[in-house]
Amino acid sequence: MVNPILLIIIPLATAFFIPLLAIVWKNGSRYLALLAALANVLIGIKLLPYVLEKPIHVTIAGFKAPIGIDLLAGPLGIVFSLIISITGFLVLIYSIGYIRDESINKYYTLFLLLLTGSTGMVLTNDIFNLFVFFEILCISSYILVAYNRDEHGLEAAIKYLVLGSVGSLLFLIAIAIIYLKLGTLNMADISDKFDALGGSYRMMVVVLILSGLGVEAAIFPLNSWLPDAHSSAPSSISALLSGFVIEVALIVVMKLVYSVFHAMQVLNALAVVGVITLLVGEFAAFRQENIKRVLAYSSIGQVGLILLALSINSKAGISAAVLQIINHTASKSILFLVSGYFILKTGSYRYSDYSGIAKRMPVSSLLFVLAALSLIGVPPFLGFFSKLQIVMAAAARGSTFYVSLVSLVLLGTIVEGAYFLRIAQVLYFGRQQDTDSGWLETGNAAGIDMESVGNAPVSAVIPVLLLGIVVVFGFLFLTNLNGVTGSIAGEITRALSLASLF
Amino acid sequence: MRRFFSLILIIGFGFYLVTVIGRIPFAATGEAKGSVGVQIVNDTVNDTGAANAVTSVVVLYRGFDTLGEVTVLFLAALGMSLLLKGTEEVKARVFDESFILKTGSYLLFPFIVLFGLYIIVHGHLTPGGGFPGGVVIATAFFIIVMTSEMVRLRENLVSILESLAGLTFIALGIAGLLGTKNSFLANFMGKGVFNTILSAGIIPFIYAAIGIKVGSELTGAVGSMFLSPFGKQEEAGE
Repeated sequence: MVNPILLIIIPLATAFFIPLLAIVWKNGSRYLALLAALANVLIGIKLLPYVLEKPIHVTIAGFKAPIGIDLLAGPLGIVFSLIISITGFLVLIYSIGYIRDESINKYYTLFLLLLTGSTGMVLTNDIFNLFVFFEILCISSYILVAYNRDEHGLEAAIKYLVLGSVGSLLFLIAIAIIYLKLGTLNMADISDKFDALGGSYRMMVVVLILSGLGVEAAIFPLNSWLPDAHSSAPSSISALLSGFVIEVALIVVMKLVYSVFHAMQVLNALAVVGVITLLVGEFAAFRQENIKRVLAYSSIGQVGLILLALSINSKAGISAAVLQIINHTASKSILFLVSGYFILKTGSYRYSDYSGIAKRMPVSSLLFVLAALSLIGVPPFLGFFSKLQIVMAAAARGSTFYVSLVSLVLLGTIVEGAYFLRIAQVLYFGRQQDTDSGWLETGNAAGIDMESVGNAPVSAVIPVLLLGIVVVFGFLFLTNLNGVTGSIAGEITRALSLASLF
Repeated sequence: MRRFFSLILIIGFGFYLVTVIGRIPFAATGEAKGSVGVQIVNDTVNDTGAANAVTSVVVLYRGFDTLGEVTVLFLAALGMSLLLKGTEEVKARVFDESFILKTGSYLLFPFIVLFGLYIIVHGHLTPGGGFPGGVVIATAFFIIVMTSEMVRLRENLVSILESLAGLTFIALGIAGLLGTKNSFLANFMGKGVFNTILSAGIIPFIYAAIGIKVGSELTGAVGSMFLSPFGKQEEAGE
């Protein structure tokens, strides 16, 4: 059997190797990075059947937990590694044509370290090790946001850096308190000892970790960096940041809340925060004109929905949340990747300038609309089933509290439908005649010559098509997916314990 | 109004932090009985053969974290070289210091590097090791770069050293994975004679790799701030 630690080591070693390769083969990094991501996909697929039966516990440096660091590759770890490496692989294919400047070697190094950091976060079973991978993830994304080196990118990156660093600091304080009071950093060991800790310390640790990781997970009051960062980054990077970075942070913090800290008392508050996040995101997205800002705010909305589903405190809710994460990763990646070429071909960020672009870029536009429909939750796309499962899981709790939250979610969905269909209308039917609303007054004022807009290159269409297959035909594999998400839900809701590792 | 609420929020949160953390006694060694730290201090010589317990924690017990921290430094240096490249403000800084300063820095250079190497090599015996040693070596280059515009440091050389050191760290880790212990970063070499240079198995080798990596990363970071060692000062003007 393959050792799951290779999922972390392969991208890391490749990232270190790229500067050496660059000396003999200047543009070799794009293919090497592709190979590394492919290796991770294959290892993940090979390990998946094993971990669905029993999680693999990996000891590092030969020291038995809790003395040394260890990894716990359960269903959550391997499924998220797969999500990360598959998305990474497809976006790397897209990058071949999209990233064409003199510092591509640095781009691919940062890209691979982003994959390393996020994979490490889902696999590790040691809370300080989690912090280290979290730092790798954060710092590589700060730099990638500023990759274009334009004013917006740098400003967004600084904002992200400041908020992210404060978040990391809070996380570190929480770890210090845990180590001071419990004398251990192993998550399973913490879980065993945590209930013996005084109430005020317990609450403080949970609050600090929620607010620390919550910055990266874009939970409501902590997400002001996200629209700038996700919209200023190169589109390939936006696809990663929206596609799995925020979801990884969210699932990890919820795993800590459930299986390590057993802090069920914060779940109701988190559900409310989730719905607020959702409404804020969707209403803000409705008012945007910049296509990437629409998508970024829509990510905030989706994060809110996922947070609500994760906070339902039932296996059905968590299972639905994971399905929604899979749907969001695929759909939002499509939307960002396609809009990258809309922007490149027309030179404009305003979606009102894309009138009738569907005639010029038919495949891309079709996939854009399909992905948008899946995010809204139109049957028979994957998003319909995940939203349906979330609503049913909330309804199954039976309380008025959850029913009222779900009705607010449906309100958010209507808003979501409104802005996505408005974009779809512009793409297919061109300029809207109604100028009363004010949002389309300038129309095609940028003077873009639609005749000159051509198709996106094959390297951009292939990854988008493959992601499109997941979104459109995902429902055919719904029973398999539900089996996998169900075992992730089981892992999250079960309290970790040191005894169960060996 | 928004600022007022933000202020209230910050003060509230600060008050909360202070009240809870303030109750933790400062010298809290007795707090956590059976702490991992206490066990490590008791077992470290038997487990690792290193005379310096801190080093055994940094390189072996939590070596995987150290690999991550080295990566964080690598990222930071990479980000600096990516984002600072070619901005006008950076190019404008050229130093032309006095003869005494230049000669003095050349004179000091080999000694500082030697001192750095000493600290790295003795990391498992005395306080110090790869991180401080690497910083000392980078300081030597820093002084040269600060005082003299004559020095050419090849950017390629720095990144080759950095990559090789990182790959060595990982290769030593993988050797542990392939060895009998079947665990990444496991100490697959003999412990040797306690308190000698070649003791504690892989620890000195990993620390040497860390030292080279830290030294080259920081040198590269300094270089990307000043640019002059990379042969750019002709464009920078007088």
